[in-house]
Amino acid sequence: MTSLKSDPKNKKKKLDKGHWISLKQVVKIYPSLAGPVTALKGIDLQIDRGDFAVIAGKSGSGKTTLINMISGLDGLSSGEIWIGEVALHQFDPESAAHWRGINIGVVFQTFDLLPTLTILQNVMLPMDFARRNNPPQQRERALQLLKQVDILEHAYKTPSALSGGQQQRAAIARAMANDPMLLLADEPTGSLDSSTADSILDIFETLTDQGTTVILVTHDRDVARRGSRVITLSDGEIVHPS
Amino acid sequence: MINIRWYKVLNDLAGNKTRTLLIVLSMAVGLFAVGVILSARSILSRGLAESFAAINPSTGVVRTGETFDEQFLASVRSMHDVQAADARRNLAARIEIAPDEWKNISIFVVPDYNEIQVNKIEPDTGAWPPPEREILIERAALQVIHAQVGDTVRIKLANDTIREMKISGTAYDPAQMPAQLDGTPYGYVSTETLDWLGESFGFNELYVIASNPEDEEWSRQVVNQVKDKAERIGLTIPMTMTAEPGQLPMDDILQAILALMGILGVLSLSLSVFLVVNTVSALLAQQKRQIGVMKAIGGSSLQLLGMYLVMVMAYGAFALLLAIPLGIYGARALSQSMAYYFNFDLASMDIPMQSIVLQGIVGLALPVIASLVPFISSLRISPAEAMSLYRTGKGRFGTNPVDRMISGRNLWFARDFPVRSFLLSLRNTFRSKGRLLLTLITLTLGSATFISVFSVRSSLTSTVDEMMKWFNFDVMITFGRSYRSEELQQLARQLPGVYETDTWQQLTVRRVRPDGSEGSMIYMFAPSPDSKLISSPGLAEGRWLLPSDQNAVVVSSALFIEEPDLKLGDNIVLKLYGDEFTFKIIGVSIGTSFGTIMYANYDYVSRITDRAGESDALMVSMSTHDPESVLSASSALERLYESNGLRVNTVDTMFVERAQAEAIFDTIVSLLLVMAVLMALVGGLGLMGTMSINVLERTREIGILRAIGAPNRGVAQVFIMEGIAIGLMSWLFGALLAVPMSGALNLAVGTSMMGTPLTYSYSVSGMLIWLVAVFFLSTLASYIPARNASRLTVREVLGYE
Repeated sequence: MTSLKSDPKNKKKKLDKGHWISLKQVVKIYPSLAGPVTALKGIDLQIDRGDFAVIAGKSGSGKTTLINMISGLDGLSSGEIWIGEVALHQFDPESAAHWRGINIGVVFQTFDLLPTLTILQNVMLPMDFARRNNPPQQRERALQLLKQVDILEHAYKTPSALSGGQQQRAAIARAMANDPMLLLADEPTGSLDSSTADSILDIFETLTDQGTTVILVTHDRDVARRGSRVITLSDGEIVHPS
Repeated sequence: MINIRWYKVLNDLAGNKTRTLLIVLSMAVGLFAVGVILSARSILSRGLAESFAAINPSTGVVRTGETFDEQFLASVRSMHDVQAADARRNLAARIEIAPDEWKNISIFVVPDYNEIQVNKIEPDTGAWPPPEREILIERAALQVIHAQVGDTVRIKLANDTIREMKISGTAYDPAQMPAQLDGTPYGYVSTETLDWLGESFGFNELYVIASNPEDEEWSRQVVNQVKDKAERIGLTIPMTMTAEPGQLPMDDILQAILALMGILGVLSLSLSVFLVVNTVSALLAQQKRQIGVMKAIGGSSLQLLGMYLVMVMAYGAFALLLAIPLGIYGARALSQSMAYYFNFDLASMDIPMQSIVLQGIVGLALPVIASLVPFISSLRISPAEAMSLYRTGKGRFGTNPVDRMISGRNLWFARDFPVRSFLLSLRNTFRSKGRLLLTLITLTLGSATFISVFSVRSSLTSTVDEMMKWFNFDVMITFGRSYRSEELQQLARQLPGVYETDTWQQLTVRRVRPDGSEGSMIYMFAPSPDSKLISSPGLAEGRWLLPSDQNAVVVSSALFIEEPDLKLGDNIVLKLYGDEFTFKIIGVSIGTSFGTIMYANYDYVSRITDRAGESDALMVSMSTHDPESVLSASSALERLYESNGLRVNTVDTMFVERAQAEAIFDTIVSLLLVMAVLMALVGGLGLMGTMSINVLERTREIGILRAIGAPNRGVAQVFIMEGIAIGLMSWLFGALLAVPMSGALNLAVGTSMMGTPLTYSYSVSGMLIWLVAVFFLSTLASYIPARNASRLTVREVLGYE
């Protein structure tokens, strides 16, 4: 992943030091057949700009729930989430979607590329939703991103024609389409072999170097070690904040 | 370059061809049915009325006992309130339709066939106008007299003269009831031929169009003026008749058919609506995770809503592209066949714009409305939930008693027999109850409509049975005048094979309304109430005649269509042989309006008509009832009476009468069969489409089953059983729903045709035919997609979206 590093356009805004993401007493309770389940029990967490934060923990510890709260993919039961000056917890789902589209990139374990669109079109889609640029400009930016993640030659293929690693690269390019400040990745290497996983983690490191804040969820200790900071969750509580 | 999100819409439509085809077909079949039924209904109601108007139909008919001439016709034409008038000679004769088998025929004589002003007759095939000593036959009557153009037929006149005449062509006379419906053939000859037949020329039927033909009451007054005028010059008037404005000769059947088509149109519309809702819900359920992903990458609800609305509208548009032209073709074919039955040429086959617009609304707007509900519900959940729930279901199964019951925990056979896959199918069926309910409503509606259509058909047969069951005899002979009852019976008993005989009086009567006007001709039968050969006809209400009854009548329900102010218990003034008598309606029998019938006591009627001990109709019961011996006995009886100098008017055999009664219903039965096929098509394709979409939606689940070691056959079995379970449930609910639905259809058809509902008969055969169809279609609909899915590799299946 040298291409991202060598591209001067990818050098972002100068990093402001200080807590950029701030979670205060975040609680998430899910209803279930056996009664309410508290997935997050009053999480307090601060993440700085440019961090490559890894949220680690066993299955069921609340990692995915936490990342869903930060991304606004799910609403919290109580507490506050601040990203810079923005009070995410006050957004309704519609405003959250709009804000997320511009400011947050999301990467999933199962890639979740839209199967009937080509890789190029998948990368262009967030720009279309965010009404950024006109279609030719969107195309140019998407091709640039695909080049940066080394899958330019697959731009016109559909996701099913690509390997898992290639799909995840495409998913990262899609997440970066609107040049977000924050990238959230939920077990991005969970479906990949170790060497492919390494190359994906290289991309995240490069992005962090360029100023993008990355929060990555994993249960894999080797993956967790790649982060600049590890937050360990257990039973919905932070047991190791750094 | 269009926005990328529209590529997704386009690629989704083009990328999953099987799904697109299934959704489009499911929608198209419902839209097609709506188009066919509504357009055909409109073409028939408008086209027949236009065709009828083209012949310049009379608003009233005056029949005279004696003939009149051109001078009187001219004087009628010059009447202030008469817009147009025309006259004909109507000659009652008999035609030989098989050796020694004679049938009544009405022969019309018109001086100039090219100058007819009212009730126009058009040339059809062969010669025009009728050449001398030859006859033209009404085109629908050829089948009734078993003859072809070019044949020579024997005609017997009232004076017993028999002439051989060549059928030189056919004519088209829409003012007459089609011969196959009322059994009376019509012939047309020239005035020269009338001379040759030994009759002098003169008119005896006057057709009048009142100055304001749209006003039935006014038409009646004008007909009465014409009648008075005729009486002033010494003519006797045995009959006058006023038609409702624009009312066709077989209006009752047409109304019944239009009512039936209206109901079936509404039913197929509802079916179509549910098919659309069902397919759209299935589509959105399938796309739930993708919706979650798009929301996660910044798609707003409005943007996503726009995408899916365009997609469902595209499905609707494709369905309309198929359904509209096919619907137009189907509607025209159906209208054409109905018009043929009615002996009508349709003046116009234009498809009504409303029908296309309605199809458009159902095809385009409805999917949009239908998708709003599931879409809004999918918007309510967060993207995280949408993405996590998708894979194999919500996991809420097992929370209610139905789920627990079919879990197999408490079922003894679940422990002792290898029925796991069956239970899995059953549990799958009940897992998504909302979707199941929607699917079941759609399929149940289809099943119920199919079975109901069959039930109406079966009810029509039962109604004919009801109508005919009071005839316990094989042959009925009517005579030119009254003879001594004893003489009639003694002669009949001389013939070998005659088992029992009885006589009655048969006369034509008319209702005299309170305003003095007269109604249509009614046949009055006056049997002895205790006759062994006539039992009570099927009664809709009231009671049958008792020996002690005096001026009591049982009227056929059809009378109330023409005389709606009457009801059971009312008094009715009837004109018998020129005198008026008051009768009381004590019962209502089931009957069509073709030849409205009423029954009165022989003793009373023979007394008031001064014909005590005399009869003009004889009933004969034979020891063997097969058609051949009955037919030969009827011919022998006719010869016997004629050789004894008694004038025979008509000889009817009951099996022919029954066939005649059934023929009246044949049009409706044929239509019902077309409708049944249409409904089977809608229901069947709907069933297949819904099932297939359900299986496609679960392709990933098939992968899981195979990943845990289920063989291909086992996987297919689970889905086929699920399909059959849904199909059988819809059949069962449909069979139950068909009970009231058939009742409603019977009410609509019966009321418009006979003034009373049809005799209810639930079609068990229809139910069983649909059971077989459901079984076959469910299996096929689940097998094909399940087989396709089981052929994919586990990796492909698990990656299926």
